[in-house]
Amino acid sequence: MANYYDLDDILMEEEYVTVHFKFEAKGLGVLDPGSEHDDIEAGAVVDIPLWLAHDLCLRKFVSIKLPSFYNERIRKEIQADASCVDLGRYCPYFYELGLRLAPISPDPTLGSFLLYCLQGRYKDMLCKAHTVALTTAPKFLNLLTREETQLFEAARDSVKSYNKWRFQGARLERAAVLGRKRRLNALLSPFELT
Amino acid sequence: MEHVTAVVELLYQFGVNSMAGRASTELESSFFSGAEVEFLAEDDMVVIVPSLRMDTLHLICGDFGPFMPQVPASVPLWLGIAMKKRGKCRLRAPEWMSVENLTQVLELERESSQEFQPLPFHYVEVSRLLLDNARDDLVDVYMVQTLIEDIRNVRFHKVQTGLQTLSGKTHAVKLKNLGAMEVSLIRPFFVKALEKFYVHDNEELVQPSQGETDTPLASVDRHPRRVLRPR
Amino acid sequence: MAMFGKKGAELVREAKQTLATTDQFRPFNKDLFEQVVKETEEHYGHLQERMSQIRVNDSTEGGDPNFVGGCAQHRSVLRNKRCLLAYVNARMSKIKHLRWDLGAVLPDDITGNLSATERTFFQGYSDALSSYMAEINLDLTVDSTPPKDPYVQIRVIGNLGEVLLDDQETSLLPHSIHFMTRTEAEPLVMQGLLEIYQG
Repeated sequence: MANYYDLDDILMEEEYVTVHFKFEAKGLGVLDPGSEHDDIEAGAVVDIPLWLAHDLCLRKFVSIKLPSFYNERIRKEIQADASCVDLGRYCPYFYELGLRLAPISPDPTLGSFLLYCLQGRYKDMLCKAHTVALTTAPKFLNLLTREETQLFEAARDSVKSYNKWRFQGARLERAAVLGRKRRLNALLSPFELT
Repeated sequence: MEHVTAVVELLYQFGVNSMAGRASTELESSFFSGAEVEFLAEDDMVVIVPSLRMDTLHLICGDFGPFMPQVPASVPLWLGIAMKKRGKCRLRAPEWMSVENLTQVLELERESSQEFQPLPFHYVEVSRLLLDNARDDLVDVYMVQTLIEDIRNVRFHKVQTGLQTLSGKTHAVKLKNLGAMEVSLIRPFFVKALEKFYVHDNEELVQPSQGETDTPLASVDRHPRRVLRPR
Repeated sequence: MAMFGKKGAELVREAKQTLATTDQFRPFNKDLFEQVVKETEEHYGHLQERMSQIRVNDSTEGGDPNFVGGCAQHRSVLRNKRCLLAYVNARMSKIKHLRWDLGAVLPDDITGNLSATERTFFQGYSDALSSYMAEINLDLTVDSTPPKDPYVQIRVIGNLGEVLLDDQETSLLPHSIHFMTRTEAEPLVMQGLLEIYQG
């Protein structure tokens, strides 16, 4: 389970999924743009954020429809050439969202599909991550989901910091939070240097 | 000089890393920085040739000296460099840093795609510290520098090809003879990748296919637990 | 009107921005923060309304429409709470780093971007750290990277004037170059008043 304070996990839960209300729900009319009154009627099909859908689904008030980017067409694309598919465009939280949906979704193959995806794309990232030119933002970075980008950047940062070490060595630097251009005048006088 | 046989394991500690790694991406405090690895390397011993007489130094890590002019002595690298900077000694390059040895290592490294040649655990850092601080004491400086860089590149490429098959069943990866800096370079990526595989390749999520042949995807989930390099 | 977590998500995006921005400290977004609090209260109001209408021992299959609606309102309250706490928590972790990077006294433009409670927190954290360091008689904030030589050569950037170094009064004029102990130089380098000079 993710950390309660994990910002990315919170944002992932903000992704919208389509649900089918099995029962009438009072006072939720706001969620359904098509609805004219305050309530949602039984049988209504509405897009709601995952954090809400997940809870309502566990209580069996709604059933979930998988987002379109987990459908057969995308699966075929992944099989054809995993690393070329622009998953980032379909959903930046492709894997995390899938993981959360897998236990409650009607499709039992979702879990294996995600793993297959990851394995297919991982190899390509492995090759590129440590070798790609450091200065240019590579084009294929746009194809990655947020999670993959983090992985990629972890590799790139370690290469960067290795090169920094290799060519400059360790040195003291001023705290980044002060910004670059700031010039400090004598506003911090009471130094105790003992 | 003590030879450190390096058996490096990227131990995968899921419980410890998953939270720390995610919560503070800006400050990967669980990983070593280049400067920190270098610091550890400075404890390796190196042979110096003192140029003057000096009494024994009593240090926390042990006693060194007394030093006599032209009598080689063994000291930690950091001490050697400090003395060198003050003009009190010359540093002697370790045997493995000779052009002959490095050429041979590079050849062997290229020949076998499965194994890493034994080099000191801190070979990247030690060679760099010596090249930076004692250039005038070394022979064939440029040659040595190029050879080490080549060796590192060949080995790094090998690591990458070797690690192409990860799965959730990979709990640890054994890479014999890999150096400290080499491990530290790939650690952030691999720890994260292992974490992802661990999360995805899990019994509850990946159900074994029950005769559903409509999708070939269902068959990808079973990998044996795999040791990447034979002992 | 309560928007079921939209504002909360915005606040979390703001928190991500705060963490990602390295060259300054983003101001506390009081406006957005209060909107989320207000929205949470609205959800709570709706929840109470639904609760009051639930008929006890309702035997209709599955769900009383009020219960279904109530659950959603309750979730929204919890969701907003999580967003609010995550925002505060993200900033808090960054504020802690300020103490380590800049010392006990923050420059005015950073202090100005902290909320009143954050200032109190910084003060408390800073005092706790200082008193701990005094107790163990060790400055933990120096040597953030492994030290090399105990002495470093530095160049003065800010205007420091007369400073007591190594028990000697030294005048650190702008652009002058000095030799001093690393421990003394480090906090001043971090604050951007000196820079390491490699001649």
